[in-house]
Amino acid sequence: MTQATGTKVHEFETNNAADTIRAGHEIAKLLTPPKFLILKGDLGAGKTTLVKGIAEALDAADPDEVTSPTFTLIHEYEGTRHEHGKDEPVLLYHLDLYRIEQERQLDSLGLDEIATPDSIVLVEWGDKFPSVAKRSNGEIVMKSTGGDSRKITLTLKD
Amino acid sequence: MASGLILGIESSCDETAAAVVRRGAETLSNVVASQIATHAPYGGVVPELASREHLRNIVPVVRTALAEAGIPLNDLDAVAVTEGPGLAGALMVGITYAKSLAYALDKPLIAVNHLEGHIHAVLLEQAELAEEPMPLPALALVVSGGHTHLYLARRNGESWRYRNVGRTLDDAAGEAFDKVAKLLGLGYPGGPWIDALAPHGNPKAVPFSFAQIKPKPYRKDPHRDDPASQFLFSFSGIKTAVLRYVQTHDLAASIEARRKALAEIPNPKPSDALPLCDEETLNLIASFQRAVVDDLRRKTFQAAEAFDSASVLVSGGVAANRELRVRFTAEAAERGLPIAFPSLALSTDNAAMVAAAAWPKLLEGETAPAELSAEPSLTLGR
Repeated sequence: MTQATGTKVHEFETNNAADTIRAGHEIAKLLTPPKFLILKGDLGAGKTTLVKGIAEALDAADPDEVTSPTFTLIHEYEGTRHEHGKDEPVLLYHLDLYRIEQERQLDSLGLDEIATPDSIVLVEWGDKFPSVAKRSNGEIVMKSTGGDSRKITLTLKD
Repeated sequence: MASGLILGIESSCDETAAAVVRRGAETLSNVVASQIATHAPYGGVVPELASREHLRNIVPVVRTALAEAGIPLNDLDAVAVTEGPGLAGALMVGITYAKSLAYALDKPLIAVNHLEGHIHAVLLEQAELAEEPMPLPALALVVSGGHTHLYLARRNGESWRYRNVGRTLDDAAGEAFDKVAKLLGLGYPGGPWIDALAPHGNPKAVPFSFAQIKPKPYRKDPHRDDPASQFLFSFSGIKTAVLRYVQTHDLAASIEARRKALAEIPNPKPSDALPLCDEETLNLIASFQRAVVDDLRRKTFQAAEAFDSASVLVSGGVAANRELRVRFTAEAAERGLPIAFPSLALSTDNAAMVAAAAWPKLLEGETAPAELSAEPSLTLGR
């Protein structure tokens, strides 16, 4: 496969939480570190559920262990990527900036230290801050399509 | 142990706090940055999330705690500090300060788990009221914006041992309160708003059902052969259920009107919101709170029964909820189980609980190494 340049878009449709976790498995395969992605979706869209799937696929955590970072702001999971027959360590960060109101409060989160070459960073409500949006190299958008169905769009910038 | 005095320092999240407690049983001072913001004789303090603010607050907060206790630094027997869980940058401020102070005074440094601190907040107040010690083992529910955990707490000599027997799979209970309050155009943090408005609605008006998550056996633990269970909570679903109710009952316009009206009131209080809520909204609030409280109550007492607990402790910010206290107290009475809650000041993050939890550790010689560092993902118990 030749390496195309530009933006790549991947779409997933899910009908329930278990489906969303499976979509997380698929998305994990597409995420080569370093990645810094904005994770968008309304309240109840299933953002934490999707991260459960991504973390599981990276052997970073059991789905049960992945909980909402809204209050605690940052959750870190150590995982492994299996690529070309080799095991590469990966750090998965799940952030939620919902409670953060000012740009200067971001300082305490240490985004520079988090965005390392072997990390995958998923930031909820990251689009609230231009500095965070600017740092991102893609996004995951989750939309409710009625009931428990969701449309998940992964966009990876070059 | 000349004095039995421990200086506790807490900076795991939003609050910078310091306290002096004698022998884990007598609070001499308990200072939280946000409370001294307006009258700060030792320098202004700014309650904030950022470690920069913790840095600015730590000196005045510790000085105030020592001054209010009326003791010189040299009278301390030890310095205790929260090592985690929490934000790395925030934790580091407290840890670095505590380390330096302990080193300069040549006193032991003691590391405390924030979650253990919440449990000791209850034990400290029990001791202060000179009440009979809670019979053990105790089943402790630690429930706040960031945590929903069940622990079985017992003593081994002076020191305490904890076993984690329950937790949330997604959102903490306090987070559900915050998010539902925001969804309904109320203030932050959401707990006090919902708590104040719920008594004005009918808690049976909206039937919320929780996905019944069955207790499941411990996984990945070959060393445990008893058939113990984990009691699991999930508060993500009810948040979505409230959102759907709002959408299907066309409440968006009235929510927006309420949000705007409250934004025009300087420092709005829950009582300001009452006239802005119609019956349907009050019923929704009352039903939401009842559903969350009952789910917490049901699983806490199921766990107490499963693990033969002799008493129940409830701590953390959500322990301040009045309906929770009433319904937990009633069920405890029915079961003949002693139950205890901390006062409001000790429900939320504070340093008295850190100093209190450190006392048995000091007695057991469990001091922290010089290379102590922040443990953002620290857990309590197995």
